[in-house]
Amino acid sequence: MIGVLKRAWDNFRGSGEAAVTVPPMDGALRPNRLLEEAPVVATAEAPDDLADGGRGVVFSSGSRLCRLTPEGGETIADLGSGITAIAGEPGGRLAAALASGSIVVMDGAGARTSIASLGDGPARCVTALAFASDGGLLVAQGSAKRAHTEWKRDLMERRSDGTLWRMAADGANQTRLAAGLGWPLGIVETQDGRLVVAESWRHRLVSIAGGGRPEPVLADLPGYPARIRRDPAGGYWLALFAPRNQIIEFVQREPAFLARMIEEIDEAYWVAPSLKPSSTFLEPLQGGAQKHLGILKPWAPTRSYGLVVRLDAAFRPVASWHSRADGTRHGVFSCLPDGDRLLAASKGGDVIVEIRPGFMTTSGAT
Amino acid sequence: MQPLIEMKDASKEYRGVPAVTKVNFVLQKGEIHALLGENGAGKSTLTKMMCGVTQPTSGEMLLNGAPVNFQTPAQALDHGVVMVFQETSLVPSMTVAQNLYLGDESLFNRIRGLNIAAQTFLQSLNFNVNPTALVSSLGAAHKQMVEIARAVRKNVQVIIFDEPTASLTPEEKRHFFALVERLKRNGVSIIFISHALEEALAIADRITVLRDGELVASDLAKNFDRDKIIRAMVGRSLSSSLYRHEAGQEPRAVGEKVLSVQNVSMGTIVRNTSFSIYGGQITGMFGLIGSGRTEVAKIISGVAKRNFFNGGEIHLRDRPVRYRVPRQAVKDGIVYVTEDRKIEGFFETMTIPENLYMGALAAGLTGSVVVSMAQMREIAAEWTKTLNIKAINANARVIELSGGNQQKVVIAKSLAQKPKVIVFDEPTRGVDVGAISEIHQFINRLADEGLAVVVISSYLPEIMNLSDRILVCRSGRVVEEFSPAEATEEKIMYAAVH
Repeated sequence: MIGVLKRAWDNFRGSGEAAVTVPPMDGALRPNRLLEEAPVVATAEAPDDLADGGRGVVFSSGSRLCRLTPEGGETIADLGSGITAIAGEPGGRLAAALASGSIVVMDGAGARTSIASLGDGPARCVTALAFASDGGLLVAQGSAKRAHTEWKRDLMERRSDGTLWRMAADGANQTRLAAGLGWPLGIVETQDGRLVVAESWRHRLVSIAGGGRPEPVLADLPGYPARIRRDPAGGYWLALFAPRNQIIEFVQREPAFLARMIEEIDEAYWVAPSLKPSSTFLEPLQGGAQKHLGILKPWAPTRSYGLVVRLDAAFRPVASWHSRADGTRHGVFSCLPDGDRLLAASKGGDVIVEIRPGFMTTSGAT
Repeated sequence: MQPLIEMKDASKEYRGVPAVTKVNFVLQKGEIHALLGENGAGKSTLTKMMCGVTQPTSGEMLLNGAPVNFQTPAQALDHGVVMVFQETSLVPSMTVAQNLYLGDESLFNRIRGLNIAAQTFLQSLNFNVNPTALVSSLGAAHKQMVEIARAVRKNVQVIIFDEPTASLTPEEKRHFFALVERLKRNGVSIIFISHALEEALAIADRITVLRDGELVASDLAKNFDRDKIIRAMVGRSLSSSLYRHEAGQEPRAVGEKVLSVQNVSMGTIVRNTSFSIYGGQITGMFGLIGSGRTEVAKIISGVAKRNFFNGGEIHLRDRPVRYRVPRQAVKDGIVYVTEDRKIEGFFETMTIPENLYMGALAAGLTGSVVVSMAQMREIAAEWTKTLNIKAINANARVIELSGGNQQKVVIAKSLAQKPKVIVFDEPTRGVDVGAISEIHQFINRLADEGLAVVVISSYLPEIMNLSDRILVCRSGRVVEEFSPAEATEEKIMYAAVH
């Protein structure tokens, strides 16, 4: 009863849950152009996820699984359906989730095992995969109702029916570790064996421990967190695929407007996060009012952005790499430490870039 | 040449404690004379003797060669000597125009005529103040402008300014200096008390330095430089590097995000501003007067309230907070050290221990419903020692302290509340260089101990010296962030203005 009254009061006043507020990008998240200026190591159509498969770095691009080479990338497999997430382990095993509703596990010799179901249904919205330290597979399902391609709709409707699963690498012994997650898009196992999940729609990282409620370890991020990776040198790397925006959060809280927008307008032009910078005047408010003499200002309001964040062992941001409103390396879903460099896949920019973290100061300054 | 004012062996004691000892001071006609010294050096006491606020214990004063002994400021004013005080003496419930013409009213006054005359006069001084505004609604800078205008209006032969530029913006300062030059050309003599040494060197004809109530140096301004003045003022050299990165100091690492201010609005003063405060760091906030920096600090600490509807969110360690009164913020560990110490900082007629105890009482740290004198003494002894508060005795009233020591009491009162987040608003306004150095060291120590520290200042060197990150406010919002290494005065000022 008190909760109902509080929600009504918050709706009336625009506070609490109903507050349309966005945390600033400052401190360690202070904007720069380091991601925009990072050297390109490969160009590919919408590279989504990165993994270390023991024999080099592997990335997904559409339905193709590619290996990163000094010349760019070479296709190692075409899985026939859009790849939504991949995972690798040093032993050479690779796992890839497909939009068609299955997970394919390949061993070092190329033998494939297919996992067709997740719990009671098909695995058609797998958003993240990771191999656990015990050799099992960790699987995040973004939504119980929506397909992977319907992520915008899921976000705008503020759904939170994502789940996290643990299973053997052949799909046996499936255990649901958590439910009610807001589009879990990244999984990482910490040094002490805890699982930390990037809950994208709730803009936070949560720790999943033994059937209890997810505990936030980093909350109120200024963007939508995607894949998270542990750095062998300590700490973590987090990719955020789009920025939060007051107008988007306002639209999310206006059901009538939202329903009409979803029904009547092409998804590409929704007031919703985007993976690519503006390319047409039909897009709403992308760079609105901040374009002077044909030049888009970097601080313009934007629905797409590129952001990679370095976290310390306690999941506190210590440095960040940005591609701002006037940049092109947007929609970064994944990053992967590879020796002394960090690779970041920009789905909106169709490139994989490398970052040399040694050139970065802790304050975020260039 | 016949001096306009001459103080001969002037001494003043308070309760047997000497404040000024045998000072011989000379002011020539048409001269701008800067009077410098640390807080408690005796500058204010000396000038108060000149304008009749207080009388010398021994010695004499000559005005145009004739001995005078002013018993009241009114007598001094009749002889053409007036003082503009550091803490303004305006009537808060009256308008600017009414304050300007206070004491000169006719039997029947036409308010409109008064306002027009006041407007014309203020414009002639280049002071942008609304004559119909209540003084209580003005900020410190505007109050100072009214105070200066009131003195100038009297057509006097000597004006004594006590820290006139402390609360003025750089542009207002330029107007003020132009005004001082104009007064000088009209034959008015100016005594100018300031802690801004560069200002004294720039506009003064002669500089006199007091230390511990004694005159230690007096010479033409051209014979002084900054180091020489500081050595005379404090009897030692202070670190001359104003900028920490130039001194080879790295900014502190980013700590835990303690406070997140998101899209906070308050009327037209604070507009959709967002920023974060991190533990173990000093966050400097710079902005011109009216940029909303003080107001946002007051919203954070529960002194002011954001908009009722869609006023934004403040998260303290990821927990949304909205304080109705400062006490709630203090209990959560958020403390605001005011820029206007006389009005908001302390109870001036109460003693130092009583004021400090009030701080602990507000935070609910006293542990008893009955006032404990022993605890009060303990708190006072601890903070008096920690902050080196100089007073005649342990039970001195705060009104009897110098500006710097009053500021230390305000800081101590806030620190007695054991804060986790502390916001210093103009922490060294009206404070001498020695005390500034002490306060800066103390602020640095707080950040080293892990507190989240915010320093709001109009003085750019202070911001650049202290801050681990610098936020710039303009038109009610934070518009730019700099790291100390990349920040320059030009860049910060550009962000604050454009």
